[in-house]
Amino acid sequence: MPIMTYNSLFFVLFFAAFLLIYLLMPKSFLKQGVILVGNVFFYKFAGGLNCMALLVAASLLLYFCSIRIERIYEGFEKEAEGLSKKEQVPLLAAYKSRTRKWLLLGILLLIGTLVYVKVGRLLHFEETSRLLDIRFTRIMVPLGLSYYTFSAVGYLADVYWRKVKVEHNYFTLLTCMTFFPIIVQGPISHYDRLAKQFHQLPGFSYERVCHGMQRMWWGFLKKSIIADRITPVTSTIFADIYHYAGLEVVLAVIGNVIAIYMDFSGCMDIVIGAAEAMGITLDENFRQPFFAKSAAEFWRRWHITLGAWFKDYVYMPIAMNPGFMKRTAAIRKKRGARAAQVFSAAVPLMIVWILTGLWHGTGKDYLFWGIYWGVLIIIETAFAKELKAVPAKLHIRTESFGYRLFQMIRTCIYFAIGRMITACGAGRSLFLIIGQIFAAGRLHILRDGGIFSYGIDKKNMLVLIVFFLIVWIVDIMSAHFDVRDRIDRLPFPLRWVIYYGVVLSVIIFGIYGNAYHAGAFAYGGF
Amino acid sequence: MKEKILAILHENYPEIDFESSDELVDDGTLDSLTVVGIISALSSEFNVELPYEEIVPENFNSVDAMAALFERYM
Repeated sequence: MPIMTYNSLFFVLFFAAFLLIYLLMPKSFLKQGVILVGNVFFYKFAGGLNCMALLVAASLLLYFCSIRIERIYEGFEKEAEGLSKKEQVPLLAAYKSRTRKWLLLGILLLIGTLVYVKVGRLLHFEETSRLLDIRFTRIMVPLGLSYYTFSAVGYLADVYWRKVKVEHNYFTLLTCMTFFPIIVQGPISHYDRLAKQFHQLPGFSYERVCHGMQRMWWGFLKKSIIADRITPVTSTIFADIYHYAGLEVVLAVIGNVIAIYMDFSGCMDIVIGAAEAMGITLDENFRQPFFAKSAAEFWRRWHITLGAWFKDYVYMPIAMNPGFMKRTAAIRKKRGARAAQVFSAAVPLMIVWILTGLWHGTGKDYLFWGIYWGVLIIIETAFAKELKAVPAKLHIRTESFGYRLFQMIRTCIYFAIGRMITACGAGRSLFLIIGQIFAAGRLHILRDGGIFSYGIDKKNMLVLIVFFLIVWIVDIMSAHFDVRDRIDRLPFPLRWVIYYGVVLSVIIFGIYGNAYHAGAFAYGGF
Repeated sequence: MKEKILAILHENYPEIDFESSDELVDDGTLDSLTVVGIISALSSEFNVELPYEEIVPENFNSVDAMAALFERYM
């Protein structure tokens, strides 16, 4: 395991030193230089400098292709002067076809590397950390490959669609691609927005640094106190599922759902907080996902940047493809508007979800996982009217607390089933887990204290429940107002009781009380 | 133009009040699935092929914006 992870003491010390130097820099370009040096230092200890060479090569490719595309479009801008939008259409199409070779070159090499590495892992290719050792069946897996590949492809596609300004400073683009808070597990970022911020990095702000730190420690709390307590236990159960049954498995599934949320959202709090302390705003990746009322809404609240990426760069291009639209129009004429709506939603959605599944992992489980979510969301979309009419027929008030609670529990069950599909990694994980749930009751673990024998004793269970409730309450509050702003307005002693409370909790219950081992982040291996 | 677009929108999405807001996409009234359906219906009606770069929220936030967009390409 690398010695630099976001939840390691090494990272805390590195970030403290980095932030001090960064904040002392008087000019934006000097701050950017410090970030680039920080990126290299972080990468050396988190992924290795050899691996970083591949990332640098990808950034050069991205820079070269984006500049080439921009040069071609400059010709279009000159020729299009004075023409109406309609007259510009064929001219733009001609220029677009000229830029396409650079777009394809960039995308094929970027995605090709990602696919090759994913397939290589599936085929159990040997992995190396030395550049010169790379062979056909010996691959190098650069840290954050999936994340920077997606961001880079998004940037190149936006340049091709003329939606963003091309970055002319290579070092700014390199700083974006290697930016240490986002490199390991996102959020998947828009390089143009990041570059714009790098060009105007703000000076010191006590409030911003303070808010950033608060968010980082909140992330440490979620990860070290909750996720790291649960994950080893649920991993043990799912690795040896035949030995467990009934309530044991149900609790493991619930624990797995809680742990993955605390792990991933905790990591996002750390990295978004770190960037905030530097005066850089990253896209949010979570917005109280378990409060979602449907599967589609859940994915607008969970791993938001991944969903947005697939929407912008897979779903919309397919749905807006002229050939696909002609097919949809033919269906509209032949079978009516409803059939056309279902077709135009279902086909791209299923492609998106199969790809989303394969992004998460290359096994059969992940393919099923993608199809599962795809089918759920397509049903919600295609039968939206019918589903909406059901509560009225049953005389249920949709605005009542009870109905909203039902919708939230249903979302949690959707997600739990999704987790069960991949939890055991045996190709038929869902059936294995369901089979074991019904194999025996094992309710006695509640009576005889057996529940405390799986690795979380009575004291740790109490810690877990208390902190889970704290996070849950803060999540509910966050849905209605900015919690950090409210803390700012509290009297000085109370404010510092909260700060010290969080920091001491992480040290006492997260590091000391949890036989500290700084567990790896679940989304760090993509 | 606006009336024609409104009639098509009402026919395809009777449950949506398109005149309730001029931030239809930004305020979440229209999701990406609905926007795709709208583009598909309007493009086929007016026989227009929109360039992909025009598919941005600003062009679908109101019926007026949609009318202006399609008029530019007719």
